[in-house]
Parts: sequence; structure tokens; C-alpha cells
Amino acid sequence: MESKILSEHYDNPEFRGLAGYKRLGGYEMLAKALKMDRQKIIDEVKASGLRGRGGAGFPTGVKWGFLPNNGEPRYLLCNADESEPGTFKDRKMIERAPHQLIEGMIISAFALGVHKSYVYMRGEYVGPGKILRQAIDEAYAAGLLGKNILGSGYDLDLDLYMGAGAYICGEETGMISSLEGLKGQPKLKPPFPAVQGYLRKPTIVNNVETLAAVVTIIRDGAAGYRKYGTEKSAGTKLFSVSGNINKPGTYEVPLGYPLKDFIENECGGLKPGRKLKAVVPGGSSAPVLTVDEANRATLDYESLASLGSMLGSGAIIVIDDSNCMVDVLSTITHFYWHESCGQCTPCREGTGWLHKIVDSIIHGQGNPGDVDLLVKVADQMKGRTICALSDAAALPVISFVTKFRDEFEFFIKEGRSKVTGKGPTHAQMHH
Amino acid sequence: MFQLSEEGKEFVKKQLARYEQKESAIIPSLYRVQDENNGWVSPEAVDHLSQLMDIPTARIQEVLKFYTMFNTEPRGKYHVQVCTTLSCGMLGGRELCSTLMKEHGVHKHGEVSKDGKFSFSHVECLGSCDTAPVMQINREPYLESLTEEKALKILKDLK
Amino acid sequence: MPKCTINGQEVEVKAGATIMDAFYQLGMKEKIAHYCYHPSLSIAGVCRLCMVEIEGNPRLQIACNTVVTEGMKVDNNSAKVNEAVKWGMDFHLINHPLDCPICDQAGECGLQDQYMAYGKYEPEMAERKVKKRKVVDLGPRVVLDSERCVLCSRCVRFTEEVTKTNELGIFNRGDRSEIGTFEDRPLDNHYSVNTVDICPVGALTSKDFRFRQRVWLLKNAESICTGCSTGCNVNVFFNKEGVFRLKPLYNEKVNGYWMCDTGRDTYKPINRDARLLDARLSFGGDKAQAKVEYMIPLMGAKKAAEWVREAKAANNAKSVALVLTGQYSSEEYESIVSTFKADVGTDQIFHWVNNPESFESFDGLLFRGDRNPNTKGLLQTLQKHGVMDNTWKDLVAGLESGTIQTLVVAGPLDFSVFPDLQEKLALFAKAKRLVWLSSGKSELVDASSITTVQIPMRTHVEKHGTYVNHSGIAQSVKPALSVVAKAMTLSEVADVIAGRNVKREEASSPIGKRAQNEFTTQRGAL
Repeated sequence: MESKILSEHYDNPEFRGLAGYKRLGGYEMLAKALKMDRQKIIDEVKASGLRGRGGAGFPTGVKWGFLPNNGEPRYLLCNADESEPGTFKDRKMIERAPHQLIEGMIISAFALGVHKSYVYMRGEYVGPGKILRQAIDEAYAAGLLGKNILGSGYDLDLDLYMGAGAYICGEETGMISSLEGLKGQPKLKPPFPAVQGYLRKPTIVNNVETLAAVVTIIRDGAAGYRKYGTEKSAGTKLFSVSGNINKPGTYEVPLGYPLKDFIENECGGLKPGRKLKAVVPGGSSAPVLTVDEANRATLDYESLASLGSMLGSGAIIVIDDSNCMVDVLSTITHFYWHESCGQCTPCREGTGWLHKIVDSIIHGQGNPGDVDLLVKVADQMKGRTICALSDAAALPVISFVTKFRDEFEFFIKEGRSKVTGKGPTHAQMHH
Repeated sequence: MFQLSEEGKEFVKKQLARYEQKESAIIPSLYRVQDENNGWVSPEAVDHLSQLMDIPTARIQEVLKFYTMFNTEPRGKYHVQVCTTLSCGMLGGRELCSTLMKEHGVHKHGEVSKDGKFSFSHVECLGSCDTAPVMQINREPYLESLTEEKALKILKDLK
Repeated sequence: MPKCTINGQEVEVKAGATIMDAFYQLGMKEKIAHYCYHPSLSIAGVCRLCMVEIEGNPRLQIACNTVVTEGMKVDNNSAKVNEAVKWGMDFHLINHPLDCPICDQAGECGLQDQYMAYGKYEPEMAERKVKKRKVVDLGPRVVLDSERCVLCSRCVRFTEEVTKTNELGIFNRGDRSEIGTFEDRPLDNHYSVNTVDICPVGALTSKDFRFRQRVWLLKNAESICTGCSTGCNVNVFFNKEGVFRLKPLYNEKVNGYWMCDTGRDTYKPINRDARLLDARLSFGGDKAQAKVEYMIPLMGAKKAAEWVREAKAANNAKSVALVLTGQYSSEEYESIVSTFKADVGTDQIFHWVNNPESFESFDGLLFRGDRNPNTKGLLQTLQKHGVMDNTWKDLVAGLESGTIQTLVVAGPLDFSVFPDLQEKLALFAKAKRLVWLSSGKSELVDASSITTVQIPMRTHVEKHGTYVNHSGIAQSVKPALSVVAKAMTLSEVADVIAGRNVKREEASSPIGKRAQNEFTTQRGAL
């Protein structure tokens, strides 16, 4: 049951350029919004129940409401740093519909009284970066950006800033630090960005998909948007699906859609002869689901939370029975060890510790108490740091070793994988 | 002593004026330096930027060492970055990197092949998991849905 | 003025104050672990040790970045907090080299101290520790050991916010993070040793102090730095072998938490090696060296008194002149100036300005061109006694015309701040007799071409005294230790010259208290 309210035209190459985008109805909502009362736009977004699509799921309208009215310059930053392992939906959107993002940004910036806005994109996204740059130039040339947009008297400058390789820049204050030209280290909160963000000025940071969804909310109204999804998880969402699946890719489905159906129908099920073993439902930080849990899950914030996991960025990684869970976890612990910015002690030291324990196990050098120790260390990393990376590193560890404890215990005892029968391979060893 | 080209210096000056805070010009300027310096940023280049931008060397060095897309040591003409996180890891990214390194007689990440053409490294999730495994060469668009044969051929065809 | 309770104790704080401020306000009666917080630097919030539980908030918060609100109930003794701090300590220690036996910080180390209170006491780290750089030469005064570093970023913030020299940074990320300078360029700002002081662990150590003494074998006493007219408050660390180091003591009005690197060296002239130990009478001329007579300091002073008496007997008191440097206490100035005016009967009293070119300079932080601790006190005394208008020119004229024949000079305690010593001695040699008062020995003075008696003086740490700094703040200093017990004060010399009974100031023996870690002192007793 795909409901393509965002991605209706993603397969149409015409949609990528300004002319085609306009022919298919693009920028009509901007014209409409520019005639609306600003507060009305904010109210509409609030009423739509749209929640941040980057991972945290914070209600967008509420976040917008935190901006103080103190006459200071304010900024809208689009978070296109998409780095949560498993996530690629923003990239697909930028590649296929860059103007949809720009339109969403202009509408949002207008509503928020912003006159300077940036898209912060991860540095690796060279291809999408070129596409967005071109689209921004097109928009400027067409009077959609710059001074007096569409004759409304409203001015907005929009620029693209490319990062340079750091997961943590997806955290909104890490992103702000990076945009300010510093290391991408998250800032202490309070103050929150809405009060003191970029350059210590009021700043709203929204994800690519969130900002694009604003266009559909203007089009369909809050009620129209709420036709999709559930009470607490309104609308549709883009899901990035990868792993051991027949049809990996980006899918838009209404929130609340059953995960099992999604995997079996939309995504074409698993490879022949393979059985589902586990699903990571919301990017690598989301606790892994067992088959039983996955069968019960629906794709929305509440259902996944009730299963002890989270919707996160909507990155679904399907893991079949050919995988050794120790090995899968090792790529995750390596990831967080590699990406911890290093400022808070529990995260800096904890991510290293977790990585080393899992690495020892993979190398056949695990100790008998390691599974319990992994849980203990991970537990102490939760809720202790400036940002959520420490929690993000801890949660998958706890879920992997408790839900697949037998595989970890086996590896520790036997020095080889319970699933593949193999010991450590050279390729698994990170350098 | 490394010096940016005249166009490069002009570029840096433009970046300094482009953002609200001049430090924001560090990342784009480091990219520029890397492009003009065979793919890496040398200490001399940091000094050069520090003077050009009037920003202390320690601040530039912090940025340089924080972001993985900046290289602080010489790299091959083609720096091959193979994604090995989660989906790419599950679908052969690590094995792929080993194969490519073996083919080019390179034993360590970051090591440059004898002909100077290649260096390799694992990178974390590139955000192209549906086309795993993927790799990126220098700062170019991704190479997706790789097999060993496909990747070996891509490297072979590079001049 | 919101009120809150800290572990049940009510505190009223200023609006906008943090929970950490409230702990400080309680004088650290309630202790709270922390490394990255420093009252004089921006909030980093990274060590994550100052965890507190706030009633109604399920998540632990850090005290350093949480503003007190009215009625807030703060607890940092709860089981939840203790667990978090215990593990927080452990995270700090899993990659720490535990090389306390060869670490200079041992005995005043934040890790050692806080482990006593918050340690987990059951190490579970079985993995290889991260290797980092050791014994990195970070500049003329500081050595870095990266493995010991807890990355609290205090030193980095110091160079960003206080000196604004920006030498230091934290490079790399995650557990590969290391502090350092770009390409190991020297950390050579004039305040570099403060980074050693604020380093809560043994990552930054002072080259000057390294491996010279275990801190628990030192006693400390409060004093001031005499290196310039700022008068930074310091802790003098010493034992019976002498003084080993100075560290700044907080004084909001004078120096905040800092002192300059030059000031760090001002303990050196105090130690015995640099000192004049006996009075020394020489006669100048070709055989100057051969005819030297040594005597106890009091006898030297009596020789001076004899010369003054001779001038008075010849009805020529004004042939006796007094030259004063800004190196002595106000009490001593009062005593010697009034003695010369009243008892000797001369108003020939002059101020020796040691470096007139840079006398008025200031580096914007603490260091002043007037390299004397008490120029202001001296000027106040001269003013009081009406001899303020005497100029150096008058002295030169008096010496050249021969009207001044006996010169009493209260000379330097620290020769290093008297670049003009040689030139001035040449001038003084125009007199017939020189009484040279100084704590230090000098070959230049030994080679004096006229009849000279040198009398050893006490340094500021060996006597009571008040010093008035550049802004007029009078600071009283108590004796901390005795290095040359026989040495005299200026007041004692005045007594001898005036023929009064000399009341010798008690030579203080190394009493003091056991060395205290200024880190824990600030935080409260652990």
C-alpha cells in the first residue's frame, strides 16, 4: 500500500529540473503560502502532526513554536547530513526532486520569518550536492530565491554547505558547529538551537523529508495530511530498505503500515531459501527486532517504541539467517567507535570499549563475562552525554547481545561463529 | 612550500566573504587545498591557509583532523573508499575492499600502491545501502551495486 | 534570587547561577566531582562527572550547565548519581596508563583524589589500552603526556579564552582524540604554566618542577609573587631544601586564577644558591678581593652604622644618602626612611627605577613593566616624609660633586629585574663608601671599586610585610620559611643605624601545612 504523496513523481526524470517540476505543479504551493498568514502556516504544520523525519520524531510545529519573537535574525537549516547507517531516503529525494526540498524550505522559512537558510549536506553526497546546487541556481534565476520572491516582498537566501565526513554532523547542534566552521561537536543544551543556534541566533533545524512534507501539508491541509498514518504518527514516511531483501530501495508508505507486509509485499520478500532472522527498523541506532517482534510491528513511532525500538530515520535493514549477529554487530560497534566526536567521556571511552570487546570476540579472544559486560558498559553510556550518539551506540549492543545471546556465547566459547562456523576472516578485521 | 594557485587563493577569499563567520570557510578551503595538492592536506598547506585566512593553525588542524574526507597523508591518485557498515558489511563490502587491495599489492589502509595510482580505505555508511556494496573514489559520485568483477574493472579502466 | 536545596541544604543563588555555582557557594561543604568545569573558563560539560538528580526530572543532569530555578531540589548523593559518577570515573580510567609512580601529578591528581571517593574498585577493562604520545615537548615550560589526558579541554579553553593565543587544540575524534599544538609548535605564551595548574591530571607537567620533588614532601604557604607590581597571590611550595615552585592562588581583585610564567621563576632568587649568606666588607682598589672581611649580618649593619655616625660627627649628615628600590615592604620603607630623616638627619633619599623605558608597560593580562612588588608603597612613604621631589639627577649631581659620600642602597632581591645594575654600580662607585643591602649575591657588587659592606637581607617569604600593588591594593604577607636565618630586614638595619635595640624578627622554621592539592582545595576536602 504505497501512498505516494511525496514521491509521486520520483520516477519521472522531468521532475528533477525546474521546468518539469513546475509543469507537474511545483512551486504552486509556494505561491499559495506566500499569500497566507505566517502563523496560519505554522498552525497548519502543527495541526498536521508532522514529526521530524530525521530520527528523533519531534513534532515539527512544536519545534517551530520555540522560536522566540525577539527581532533577532534567525536561521532555518536543512539537515541533509543523512548518515545513520541504513538511511538513504533524503539522498533519493534530493536526486529526484531537489525543487521539492527547496519549495518546502522557502515555505517554511517564510512562515518562520527567516531570510537566510542553509542546506547542510554530508560531504560524501557529491552527486546529490551537484544536483541540489544546480536546482538552487535555477531557483535563483527564476526569482524563487533571493529578493522579493514571486513579487511577495519576501526575501530569502539559500546556500548549500557541504560537510566533510562525520556522522555526528547529523546531530543538529553538531551540524551547527560544523556550519560555523568548527569540529562538528554537539553543543550543550540548554540553550536549545531555537533560542541560540547557528551563531547563537534562533535557529530551526529540520530534516530534508520534513521540509519537503511541508509542501504537501500546504497542498492538502493538515486534515488531508492526517488522512494517512495514525493519530500520533500522522502522514506518510519514506523508508530506506536494504540488507537481505529482494527489492531494496526507498518506499513511501503511510505510518502505521505493518512491517511484515511491507517486507513481504512492497520489498519483494527475502532471497529464495532464506529465512528472516532480524530487522533493524530505524537505522543502526534502533534496537534490533527479532522475527517475532518484526511480525508484530507496525511502521510508526508508537508501535516500535512499545517493542523497545524506534522508527528513527525509517531505515529498515533486513537480516536473514545467513548472517552471524556477532559479525553484524561488529560493523555497528566499529561505526560508533569511529564516529564518536570524543568530547564526552562516557561516549568517547565507552564506544571504544564496546568496539574492542566485540572485536575481541570476533577474533576468537572473547572472555566468558563479555556479554554481561557489554550490557553493563552500554547501560552506563545511556543518558550520560551531551548528545544521543552515546545512547545510539549503546542501544543496538544491548539488543543484539540480549536477543541473540546464544550466538555471542557460542563465539566466545568456541572462537567461531555459530551461524557460519567460521572464525574471524581477514576482511572482517578493520584496520 | 605549498601555495594555492591564484584561482585557489581567490576561491578562499570568496569563501571568507560568503559566510557569516569566517571559520565557515575552513572546510571549503581545505577541500580546495586537497584538490590542488594531490589529494591530501600537508602541514605546509595548513600554515598557508592559516596565513591566508587569518585563523590560528590549531583551529584549522582541529577541523582537518575531525573530518574523514580530509587526508593528512599522501594518497593514491585514486583514493578508493569502500563502505563496510551494516548493509554493505553484510553484502560483501569488507571482502570487496580486501580483494581490491590484494589486486593492487596494498596491505594496509591508506598505503599507496607502488605505481602511485591507488590507496584504499574502509569508510562508514555512505548512505547508499540499497545499492550495497558501494564505494567512492576521491570526491566523485558513488559507484554502486558492486561485484568484485565490476569493481576490479572500474579500477582497471582508470588511467 | 532563586532558592534551591543542595542535598537538603538551602542555598539562595544569584539569578542565572548554575547548580555548580550553588555547590561553590556552599563552600564545597557538599562535594561534587568534576574535571572540565573551571570557574574562570567557559562551560564545556564534557567530563560528565558533576551529575545531579533533580527532583521531578528522571534524567540526571550536569550541575555545571543547569541553571538553578526556584525551589529546585538537587541531590548528588543518590544511588543513581553515585552509580553514574562511579562509572564516569571508570570511563576516565580505562585508557589511563596508571603510571602514578613516575607521574609528577601523583599526590595532587584529580584522578587519584576522586577515585578515593567515587572509584568503582573492580576493574573490568580487559582490552588493550589506547596508545598515545608520551613526553611531548610542548614548549619551553610544559611537557605533555597524552595517555594521561582526560580531554577535559581546560587547557584548550585557557589558550582560547584567557591568553587568546590559540596554540592548543584537540585533534582527531573519539578515543583517538589528543590535545596538542599544530605540528608540536611550542606552547610559549607568557601564561603557559597555568595550563599545568588547571590540568586536573598529569597530562601537562611543568618542566621546571618535573621530577624534582614529590608533592607530598612539600609544604605550602600563601604569599605573593614579587615579579612585578601586580602582586599575584601565590602558594609557595617548599621544604627544608628551599622553594620548589609557585602556583597562583585565586584573588578576584588581583590575579583571578592565574599568574604569568615570569612570575613562576621568582622563587629562584629565594633559594640558598642565589643568596648572600654573610655580611662582606671589601675595600675596593687593586687588592679589593684580597682584603675581604666576612662577618655576621648584624656586624655588617654595625659597620654601616659606624660610617653614618662618622658623617654625623663631622656635622655632615647630608653626605649620607639612601637609595631605595621597590623591592621591600611598606613597613620597612617606613622604618628606614623615618630613621634617615629623624635619626641620621638627611633628606637625601632617592628612588631607583630599574627599567624606566618599560616601567609603565602592561601586557593586558597581569604582567607589568614595573618589576617591583611595592613601588607604590615606596612612593607613599616618600610622599609621607616629603622626599618625593628628590630626583635621580639630584643624586647623580650629589655624587659627582662629592657632596654625597656614604651611600646606603636597599638593592634588589631579584637581580634579574635589574638590567641596569652594572651602570648603577658604576654611578654608586663615585661615593666613598657603599652600604649594599640585598638578599642575593652578585659578582658585580663583589667587584665594587670602593669600600663596600654588603649585608644579606631576607626575602619576602622570610618576613612579615605589606606590599601595595599597582592599583593600590595593600597585601600583607606572612613569613613562610627561613632560608638564610641570619639575614636581616630593612627595619632591623634601620634600628642598628639609629642605635636602637634590634628586635630580630623570628626566623621562621619550615612549619606550614602539608601540601594541598589546589584542585581539591577549590572543590572541598576529599
